Amino acid sequence: MRTQRVESSAFNALFREALSRWQEEVVQLDLIDPVTTEMVRLRCAEHHDCHT
Amino acid sequence: MFFFRQYAYSLGMGHSTSQFFDEVLGDRAGVKKELANIHDLAWDAVDKELLSLCKLRVAMILGCDEEVASARQYLDPSKADAISQWPSSNIFTDREKSCLHFSEEFIIDVSSISDESASTVREHLGEEGFVTFVNALLVVEQRIRLLLVWSKLVGNAGT
Repeated sequence: MRTQRVESSAFNALFREALSRWQEEVVQLDLIDPVTTEMVRLRCAEHHDCHT
Repeated sequence: MFFFRQYAYSLGMGHSTSQFFDEVLGDRAGVKKELANIHDLAWDAVDKELLSLCKLRVAMILGCDEEVASARQYLDPSKADAISQWPSSNIFTDREKSCLHFSEEFIIDVSSISDESASTVREHLGEEGFVTFVNALLVVEQRIRLLLVWSKLVGNAGT
C-alpha cells in the first residue's frame, strides 16, 4: 500500500458516482461467469490499490 | 483558432469511437449509457487541452492510431509533434509535464506511480483537481484499451 495522497475522497461527487454506476453496469453483464468476473475485479482492485 | 478548438471539443470529441462502442455494445443500454456518461464528465471536468495532451501520449504508448488522430486534431500542432520529447522540450509548461509524467506511469504500471509524481500533479492542479484528473485519465485509458481490444475482436473501428 502506498502513502495517502489526498486528504479527502469527497471531491466531484457527480463524476465519482458516474464511475461507480459504470462499474456496477459492467459487473452485471452476464456473458462472463460470476466467479471469473470477481477474480478479475479483485485482481484489478489489488493492482490499483483500491480498497472499495 | 482557440474558439474553433473549443467548439470542436464539444461537437466531435471521440465521435467515431462513440459510434463504434454503440455498435459493439448493441442492446446493452445500461453499460452504453454509463460509458458515454463518464466520457462526457471526464471532458467536462478537466482542462480539455491538458487532457487531450495526455490522451495523445496515452494513445501513442498503447498504439491506438485512431485516438492519436482524434487527440491531435484538438491540439496545437507544435505541441502534438513534440510530445514524445516532452521531458526535454521547452514548449510544455511544468503543469503539462507533471501530468504527462504521471500519465506515462499510469499507463505503464499504475501500481508503481511514485509519491513524487502524484504530489507534483497535486501541486499544480490542487487536491480536487488531482483527483478529478486521475479519474479522467482512467476514463481515457480504459476507452482506448476497449477500442483496441474490441477492434481486434469485432473488426475495424471504422474511423
